[in-house]
Amino acid sequence: MEEKEKAYRLHLMVCAGTGCVSNHAFEIKGALEKEIKKQSLENEVLVVTTGCNGFCERGPLLVVQPGNIFYQQLTEKDIPHLVEEHFLKGRPVQKLMYTPPKEKTPIPVLSDIDFFKGQVLIALRNRGLIDPEKIEEYIARDGYTAMAKALNEMTPEGIIEEIKKSGLRGRGGAGFPTGVKWEYVRNAPSTNGGVKYLVCNGDEGDPGAFMDRSILEADPHSVIEGMVIGAKAIGASEGFVYVRNEYPLALSRLNLALKQAREYGLLGKDILGSGFNFDIKVHRGAGAFVCGEETALLHSLEGRLGEPRPRPPYPAEKGLRDQPTCINNVETWANVPVIISRGANWYSSIGTKTSKGTKVFSLVGKINNTGLVEVPMGISLKEIIYNIGGGIPEGKEFKAVQTGGPSGGCIPKEKIDLPIDFESLTEAGSMMGSGGMVVMDEDTCMVDVARYFLSFTQDESCGKCTPCREGTKAMLSILTRITEGKGTEGDLVLLRDLAESIKDSALCGLGNTAPNPVLTTMQYFMEEYETHIKDKKCPARVCRQLNTYIVDENTCVKDGRGCDLCKRNCATDAILGEKGKAHRVVQEKCIKCGVCYDVCNFNAVKIE
Amino acid sequence: MVNVTLDGKKIQVEEGTTILQAADKLDVKIPTLCYHPLLDPYAACRVCVVEASVKGKTDLVTSCNTKVLEGMEVKTASERALKARKLNVEMLMAQAPAAEPVKEIAKELGITKTRFEIKDPNEKCILCGLCVRTCTDVVGAEAISFIERGKDRTVAPPFNEPSEACIGCTACAYFCPTQAIVFEDKYGREIIHDELHLGPVTAIRVPIRQAVPMVPFIDKDACIHFKTEQCKLCEKVCEPEAINHAMEDEVMEIDVGSIIIATGYDIFDAKKNAVYGYGRLDNVLSGLDFERLCNAGGPTGGNILLKDGRKPESVAILHCVGSRDRNYNEWCSRVCCMYAMKFAHLVREKTGAKVHEFYIDIRAFGKGYEEFYNRLMEEDVIFIRGKGAEVTDVAETPEEEGKLVVVCEDTLLGLVRRVPVDMVLLGNGLEPRRDADEIARKFNIGCSHEGFFLERHPKLGPVHTASDGIFLAGACQGPKDIPDTVAQAGAAASEAMAMADRGTFELEPITSFINEELCGACKTCVALCPYTAITFDEEKNVSVVEEALCKGCGTCVAACPAGAATQHGFDDEEMFAEIEGALSVV
Amino acid sequence: MPKLTVEDLKKIREKTRRTTMLREGGEHRAKITVHMGTCGIASGARDIMNALIKEIEARDITDVILTNSGCAGLCSREPMATVEMAGKAPVKYVDLTAEKIKEVLEKHVLGGKIVESYALGIGSEKTDLS
Repeated sequence: MEEKEKAYRLHLMVCAGTGCVSNHAFEIKGALEKEIKKQSLENEVLVVTTGCNGFCERGPLLVVQPGNIFYQQLTEKDIPHLVEEHFLKGRPVQKLMYTPPKEKTPIPVLSDIDFFKGQVLIALRNRGLIDPEKIEEYIARDGYTAMAKALNEMTPEGIIEEIKKSGLRGRGGAGFPTGVKWEYVRNAPSTNGGVKYLVCNGDEGDPGAFMDRSILEADPHSVIEGMVIGAKAIGASEGFVYVRNEYPLALSRLNLALKQAREYGLLGKDILGSGFNFDIKVHRGAGAFVCGEETALLHSLEGRLGEPRPRPPYPAEKGLRDQPTCINNVETWANVPVIISRGANWYSSIGTKTSKGTKVFSLVGKINNTGLVEVPMGISLKEIIYNIGGGIPEGKEFKAVQTGGPSGGCIPKEKIDLPIDFESLTEAGSMMGSGGMVVMDEDTCMVDVARYFLSFTQDESCGKCTPCREGTKAMLSILTRITEGKGTEGDLVLLRDLAESIKDSALCGLGNTAPNPVLTTMQYFMEEYETHIKDKKCPARVCRQLNTYIVDENTCVKDGRGCDLCKRNCATDAILGEKGKAHRVVQEKCIKCGVCYDVCNFNAVKIE
Repeated sequence: MVNVTLDGKKIQVEEGTTILQAADKLDVKIPTLCYHPLLDPYAACRVCVVEASVKGKTDLVTSCNTKVLEGMEVKTASERALKARKLNVEMLMAQAPAAEPVKEIAKELGITKTRFEIKDPNEKCILCGLCVRTCTDVVGAEAISFIERGKDRTVAPPFNEPSEACIGCTACAYFCPTQAIVFEDKYGREIIHDELHLGPVTAIRVPIRQAVPMVPFIDKDACIHFKTEQCKLCEKVCEPEAINHAMEDEVMEIDVGSIIIATGYDIFDAKKNAVYGYGRLDNVLSGLDFERLCNAGGPTGGNILLKDGRKPESVAILHCVGSRDRNYNEWCSRVCCMYAMKFAHLVREKTGAKVHEFYIDIRAFGKGYEEFYNRLMEEDVIFIRGKGAEVTDVAETPEEEGKLVVVCEDTLLGLVRRVPVDMVLLGNGLEPRRDADEIARKFNIGCSHEGFFLERHPKLGPVHTASDGIFLAGACQGPKDIPDTVAQAGAAASEAMAMADRGTFELEPITSFINEELCGACKTCVALCPYTAITFDEEKNVSVVEEALCKGCGTCVAACPAGAATQHGFDDEEMFAEIEGALSVV
Repeated sequence: MPKLTVEDLKKIREKTRRTTMLREGGEHRAKITVHMGTCGIASGARDIMNALIKEIEARDITDVILTNSGCAGLCSREPMATVEMAGKAPVKYVDLTAEKIKEVLEKHVLGGKIVESYALGIGSEKTDLS
């Protein structure tokens, strides 16, 4: 670190979250640096890599500070023009800015964009503002002050009281009050000379969810700081972060952050001269979904087979190596420092009566603005989907939103005004989960969605208990049968019996919640199941085995002039017709692969 | 204590009791599959689910691991519990259709067939994990584990290959409720003749059925605990808590007034004389092997069988194996003729097989012995006078195929005969114990050149040794049969008793002593004393004579280079005075 | 790296204040816009910019935002810069040199007194986008 900080007039914040990196963010960064050098701006303009900005849909992203100018979907070609116009001549480049769907004028400033406007950043407070690989920048943003306060000015009881008062609930899914959990662990007797452990659960496995990854990538120090505060509160001197090995960027940034924190004495012995000792080890998970379940995670941490065990005893009582262990999710830990530094009252002023603060969601599926959003609890689904998410692409109709990943359920459009908090979601048959939010439009078949999630849980079931191992297999085979048109009405009864019984008698959370996608789709979209079984039709035309492909002869001749493309692509010679004349599908030969439908350029192939 | 209501019945149980244990006390049966009382509950099969309510909150829980709480109300067969239980059993029926315990529970629950897809109709494994938990938690070998996950889950050793980690304890097969794990002897053996003294045994056993005291012991070499430091299941099940794995062998020092040496004999190792084929040919047994085979507590339960399990049709018994043989032991072992004839009697009685006795001459010298010999001849035992020269399995004629052939010179007929038989029993002779030398040195008693201990006098001191207070009894002094041994032991005991009864001990009148001022600490006397009566006092740095042991032989006196050793009544002054006295007459 | 104390944490925070100010758009004393259209660059706006950066660095000023914009429309009087004190009307300076801008920085930005001799006028259209 130089004695005096070098001054730059412009900071170019290049998003380097995994989403943008896979969209060549690092190449953009390289091009920027090269071009800046070429224009001799290297002493005026600084290029910074930040963690995930959240608006992943539009990557690779660049935010110019000061000014908060938001550039999106950059390519290397755009860079010379951008550097010359904006950074040299001061004329922001409009064509690289974000234009909302259905509008014509671009919005230059980030904070004016709807996607960002509705968000409240607590866990993601440093989003886009710091380089996650520089501890000084984290400290500059008041980093580690909460830790200093907790270590030097607060008692463990005081910390626990503050967290309890804030109303913070576990962000991993179940929503257990964090302060209460800490108190349990603090009061639980250790059989090994007072040894207690602290674990950060970063084994994020829900399909389409990437909140934990983003936090670890964008702001690893916030998690470390939260863990040190937690360690002081429960009296632990050893902590673990369990991160899946599929997150290489998160792992490398976390390891770097740990190294920096250790060098600065913010981890290790006698932290900040307070006499408190604590260090963190990183454990890489091999990617089994079930290891996100806390008892399975602990088994994995101990080097054993990652399978859950019955609770009680809860980890708070008997966890890692049989000692009291506090397990919280990445996002929970990231919230802790803010609560300590800004106070429980401030935190609990955000959110609803029972669910305080904010929640990070990964908004994916059939939605315009895919990305990571942090919103206050109690916000309605509608606000997220239409205001922040920008609605459904191509003007299609919203059908349902799936929350909570494979353990959650589908919420139909009738419930779009549902406020998002732990209780409301559970009541609607879904759950908060870790914050996955998959939006579905009219082209989505709900039976197929249920089948998809079940095939995931079936695949990820550890196989320890009968209901989960055998039950998910049986449910999947019934659902597959239905989507292939072989379902009977008895199947629905058996499916419901199975779902209820698995929910009731499985060993761990994975099994208990695995039937949720089926139960909620059966609750809200029963008519779709019935259409599949009785009429052997898929209303959304997703289940191909239920589709009948026909050629609209009029369109075929009029628009396509009998182009013959479908015939040439048909694997079973099921299409008859000559070039220039109308074509026709021979249903007996058709295997319903859907290729003709996909290749027809004139929409002449229809599904009935 | 905790108050619980179970299916309407109230019961008070200790804190920490599980619902299953409480139900057991009330004789309420809850079906289980993955539960075993000796292992920690696993809660995986979910067959033991029951409905439990505490403080108005009702949940479906597994009874095997859920502990009862004050005021808990349990319904073991509520509609909700039964629904889940039935479905779980029905799913297990599809997964492991050949598992008997699942079928039984299904029958009790009224399920006749499963609606789910059956993958393998012969599958027995219900993935209850008892084997894995046994191997890991009890045995500590960790040789098997679950592999894969979900529907592909199976139990396997590492890389699905026979594992070095497996100690072959078979505990997994023992705990498996569905016989999905079976053990096979990789050689397919049924009776192990070569290892008769081992036989199929467990690590905890009574050494022999007639053992006194009738108390089991733990065989350290076979016990899993001493291999992996785990297990200790026996401790868990032993209610009087009589098992202590920490016990060690200890060496004790006991002060005694007299010692009776009765260290017995070894039998002649027939392997030394290869002509008998012992240890090389199947069905050639030594005298002791045969005793074990005949024993009701033996490996075959007392049945006389060949290695392949057949009954023998003909048996040869060879006398004087290793005895009366200049190449091995020259002496007559005195007992072999009689025990060989006892064998003949047993074989005749138990199998009816033809018995050939090959003898040099029959030495039936005791009371009733000759009569027994005569009786055997009436029992159609064939006596052939001639020492067995060779036992072979090389057939020369078709009748000899697959048989053992005993070759001998029949001295009565003057012929060399080949007698084919199924089994050969050897009349091994008696030898001194292999450590007899060491014992002799330790107790300072003599040995004959054969190695048997020497009595003080064959007629006048048959139980005494050269050292006072040390007596002999039994075959350590020379081959003898049981009646003779008992008689000699009685004599030795009464001699020892007599010493104790007197309460005093008469010293030899003339013993040696060491003049401490003269002793040069050369220790010559210590090494020379034939009665080990001299020890060296390291503190005073002089030799000391133990008068109770000293026989006054004078060896030390003659050997002492410093003239420090002297005999009472024989010091120089006394000797000179005696000489003077003798000469004064002249 | 020696271990930090609570004091050290504060020092680091102070030292990196410039960065945080710049990125977060926090409270700042003034904003200086150097007009860098083709005309401006041709008449030496780069020198003005460089001089400003150097001076800000040397004086360790953390609460002044330095930015550029396109042509201000008065190409004949380039190089130009606009100084905008927080809450006050912007002042345009014309015909600048490195020396002049340093004077402006010292007297106007730090001292609060407009250097009238270089100033074109007070109050102008808003050119910045933020």
